[in-house]
Amino acid sequence: MSQTRETLITMANQIATFFQSQGAPDLAARDTAQHIKDFWAPRMRRDLLDMIAAGEAQRLSPIASDAMHRLK
Amino acid sequence: MSLITEKDFGTPASVATETVTLTIDGQAVTVPAGASIMRAAGQMGTQIPKLCATDMLDAFGSCRLCLVEIEGRAGTPASCTTPVANGMVVATQTPKLAKLRKGVMELYISDHPLDCLTCAANGDCELQDMAGAVGLREVRYGYQGHNHLNAATDASNPYFTYDPAKCIVCSRCVRACEDVQGTFALTIAGRGFGSRVSPGQSELFLGSECVSCGACVQACPTATLTETKVIEIGQPEHSAITTCAYCGVGCTFKAEMRGEELVRMVPYKDGKANRGHSCVKGRFAWGYATHRERVLEPMIRASTDDPWTVVSWDEAISHTASEFRRIQAKYGKDSVGGITSSRCTNEETFLVQKLIRAAFHNNNVDTCARVCHSPTGYGLKTTFGASAGTQDFDSVEHCDVMLVMGANPTDAHPVFASRMKKRLRQGAKLIVIDPRRIDLVRSAHIRADHHLALKPGTNVAMLDAIAHVIVTEGLVNETYVRERCDLEDFQHWAAFVARPENSPEALEAVTGVAAQSVRAAARLYATGGNAAIYYGLGVTEHSQGSTTVMAIANLAMATGNIGRPGVGVNPLRGQNNVQGACDMGSFPHELSGYRHISDEGARNLFGADWGVTLDADPGLRIPNMLDAAIEGEFKGIYIQGEDILQSDPNTKHVAAGLAAMECVVVQDLFLNETANLAHVFLPGSTFLEKDGTFTNAERRIQRVRRVMSPRNGYADWEVTQMLARALGYPMDYQHPSQIMDEIARLTPSFAGVSYDRLDALGSIQWPCNETAPEGTPLMHMERFVRGLGRFVVTEYVPTDEKVGPRFPLLLTTGRILSQYNVGAQTRRTENAAWHEEDLLEIHPHDAEERGVKSGDWVKLASRAGETALRAKITDRVAPGVVYTTFHHPLTQANVITTDFSDWATNCPEYKVTAVQVSRGNGPVDWQISYAEKASRSRRIEATS
Amino acid sequence: MRDEEIATLQAILADQAARPGALLPILHQVQHAFGFIPKDAVPQIALALNLTRAEVHGVVTFYADFRQTPPARKVIKLCRAEACQARDSDATAARLEQGLGVTLGAASADGSLALEPIYCLGLCASGPAALVNETPVARLTGERLERLIAEALA
Ligand code: SF4
Ligand code: SF4
Ligand code: SF4
Ligand code: FES
Repeated sequence: MSQTRETLITMANQIATFFQSQGAPDLAARDTAQHIKDFWAPRMRRDLLDMIAAGEAQRLSPIASDAMHRLK
Repeated sequence: MSLITEKDFGTPASVATETVTLTIDGQAVTVPAGASIMRAAGQMGTQIPKLCATDMLDAFGSCRLCLVEIEGRAGTPASCTTPVANGMVVATQTPKLAKLRKGVMELYISDHPLDCLTCAANGDCELQDMAGAVGLREVRYGYQGHNHLNAATDASNPYFTYDPAKCIVCSRCVRACEDVQGTFALTIAGRGFGSRVSPGQSELFLGSECVSCGACVQACPTATLTETKVIEIGQPEHSAITTCAYCGVGCTFKAEMRGEELVRMVPYKDGKANRGHSCVKGRFAWGYATHRERVLEPMIRASTDDPWTVVSWDEAISHTASEFRRIQAKYGKDSVGGITSSRCTNEETFLVQKLIRAAFHNNNVDTCARVCHSPTGYGLKTTFGASAGTQDFDSVEHCDVMLVMGANPTDAHPVFASRMKKRLRQGAKLIVIDPRRIDLVRSAHIRADHHLALKPGTNVAMLDAIAHVIVTEGLVNETYVRERCDLEDFQHWAAFVARPENSPEALEAVTGVAAQSVRAAARLYATGGNAAIYYGLGVTEHSQGSTTVMAIANLAMATGNIGRPGVGVNPLRGQNNVQGACDMGSFPHELSGYRHISDEGARNLFGADWGVTLDADPGLRIPNMLDAAIEGEFKGIYIQGEDILQSDPNTKHVAAGLAAMECVVVQDLFLNETANLAHVFLPGSTFLEKDGTFTNAERRIQRVRRVMSPRNGYADWEVTQMLARALGYPMDYQHPSQIMDEIARLTPSFAGVSYDRLDALGSIQWPCNETAPEGTPLMHMERFVRGLGRFVVTEYVPTDEKVGPRFPLLLTTGRILSQYNVGAQTRRTENAAWHEEDLLEIHPHDAEERGVKSGDWVKLASRAGETALRAKITDRVAPGVVYTTFHHPLTQANVITTDFSDWATNCPEYKVTAVQVSRGNGPVDWQISYAEKASRSRRIEATS
Repeated sequence: MRDEEIATLQAILADQAARPGALLPILHQVQHAFGFIPKDAVPQIALALNLTRAEVHGVVTFYADFRQTPPARKVIKLCRAEACQARDSDATAARLEQGLGVTLGAASADGSLALEPIYCLGLCASGPAALVNETPVARLTGERLERLIAEALA
């Protein structure tokens, strides 16, 4: 797995960490998904989804993972 | 065109609102109370002779040339130091005054060389003018007495010359250095007849404390202090007002010309950002425009191993267009993109993003602001609703407490720093939050009340601790919060910061700053009167950059410090047009005026105007473009005016990304480092060669005016336009004003902006529209742009970049006064006199531990790479922290920086890198091979 | 400056820097301790008072009393004001210049002896008067003058 794709996981996790800290657990995944939708190019979303499908995204945090599922 | 002359009223304007009426030479005149008689006379058109007075400085009263007679008062008072009074009757010219003035002039001239005809100031000398004004016809004292005529000239400063033989000791230079610049580099040494102007301890200008701002040169009424260019070329004959192309202060200058040759840049007194002041860069460092290394002809090559081939513009443009078409046909429409420049004009930036969205048919556009202030945009938009600073610069004059965080204004925003220092000398309090002891912490006449020298990477923890004190000690401005902010969000935030783990005591171990100091600083910020926050890249360039910006906004809202003069949140923008580049829709997810690309209304507005259908999904950001290139999916890039190889983090990664592309187009003045990996080079034009606008850090839109024809043939906007046409997309602008009209048509916050309006008003701060036809100096006055101010919880998340046994020190980066960013321009000027190389600042303890002495070569290594540079031992940095600048390509400090980035915007984490420092013995291998490769890559094939 | 000189200077600064208007008292103490204001002391004084070198230099050079070079071993300040002139201090000056081999306002080649003008010591009734290393001497004519010259050259 390439280093650049690994960065996507790091980025998604960072975003999830921020929205998690906002204190409303039910909203964290939704807001993370929205942020990714607003700021990531479709290609990046697709790559990360591919990685999830291929089981290559173990490092993804639960909230980031939940968010990505909403973006399928 | 003629030479623009600004009237000198002799003393500064009075700000009083009440007025006074007096009679001068039989004519009644009404002026603000507190004005001098000299100024009142000037206002009615009478120039009282003067030498020691100038309206940039407070009156001094030493030359005694401006004497007047006042009815009912004995003697002949100086009009510059005498304030007006109601009913006063003043005579400015009487036989008695004429005689006195002549006598004064005779004394001056008896010790002044009579070489007017060959003097550089001939035609622009106040002493000469005054000799004429007072009717000097003889000098009874002769010229044989004791004199200064043989005093030696000091030409140590590359930009101006000091010739003491011509000095009349009026002290204007000394006072300018003190009052305007705030450096206090000059004094009058000795006394009586022996007095003379002395930099430092009677030494040369270059070795003194002088920072070469030029204020003294501008103030000098004689040829004593003169621009070296004026000595070389002669007096200018026409001029135009234009805006500095270096930093986000946005100083305006009179570009004074002789034919197409620039003689000098003189700061414009009417400039709302600089108020007649300048720094060494804008005033003097423009020689790069005619530097021999500037590339003036387009060039192409098939491979980056080949030398360049010079081609015609036509060929270069059609080659580029066909390459991009080929790439898009082969790899898909999203396989190309472009980068706009924060150095170029609004119009040029707007055009590049239009080219990408309308002619490339994708949103793969980004800008160098990505790597500096993108978190400001995100953070302030989220909390206040507008991606920009809240104040104008004048606001600092009403500020009681300044909180400066992660910024080094005296080096990076020098002209604004001078205004800050002036306010600080008047008694405003100062809090500095920075790992390094910047000059504002302590320098002549300036001393920070609190310096919170935190560990790099702990900004959010620090701001949470300050917020904790404000909330738990009952310092919140509750009325303000209740009226202006979303209460629920506030309560949520207040509960968060009040948690014990956010107390200064609990966070002491994280930030490394004593809880007591944090508490004291917090109290001062909350209770010291008008409090303003000024911040720079030390805030944004972190993995929590956006969070930090929001934490700053929280503090300002909680204490009610938004929405009036003297307060606010003020990002100090790095580049001249970084604000503009962001405003102009340079981000992949945003159209001009910060409207999200997914917003159908906005998208359709643009689509209809441009005759295309815009993609609704955000495009790739710079780091993502490079990632995609390495993945093989991104193949062509058009880079206008940015050297991403040198300025972006993790150089090796950038190089790999560029190397993976099939067509890299660089449009720049010089063969920059990125061009080493480029296939097409399109010569750029300088700000002197084009019309346009820049928008400074206070949202002020100012004109850039063409004073010479582009040496490369075309202004940058014309090149973009040619490329669009070659790609089959019609663009037909005759002048940048038409581009601005389009911007205004499509962007609500620019609706009222046009070149005519700019000419009429001088400058405009956006938003400018029907409700604010003259622009908006202060934002969020009655309500926040988003309605209610929004508090956001800002939890401290330590960066992944951690020190450990292998990399035990934290590297942070910055810049210095005389150089600018990657130095492409400043290195090609005489500014090299002040900064020959990048140095690594290291604390004495850390240096000793490693056996490093000042001046030694050291190896600097991080997990991303290593480089070598010389060490400078100083306690400006705390133990455990090292610091360097990034001005020189050979150092390539960004070989060291990693690709960690801000969570919200991907702004790179420049300000924190874990490193190790060890003794070295010269450049590391790659630096040597890089230098070789770079010079190979710069080869240009000889053309017949 | 040598280490112990720096220590002396720093002690003065530590003692005085906080008081308002500290510059002049500091300069006096420095001159007292070193006999003059060493060039290298200026940056340290400036730093302690948050001033620039230029500002301190301006003050040092403004007052004739502050010296920028080490004083001569023996400094004779001869009064050149009117009262002493009336008592023929011109002749005293001429004799001193000739006897000491030093011009008024200068120091001897080896720097050991300096002859400087000063204006009124308040000893008008018993002029010509002078200060020899800050000790007043009066009636500098004839015998007394010759003795002064001999002692100075000794
Ligand atoms: S250098 Fe110019 S400004 Fe300064 S004292 Fe001399 S004449 Fe005046
Ligand atoms: S150039 Fe600026 S800093 Fe230098 S002496 Fe003149 S006013 Fe002072
Ligand atoms: S670099 Fe900045 S501070 Fe200096 S002159 Fe230009 S705009 Fe002004
Ligand atoms: S101009 Fe008024 S005294 Fe010089």
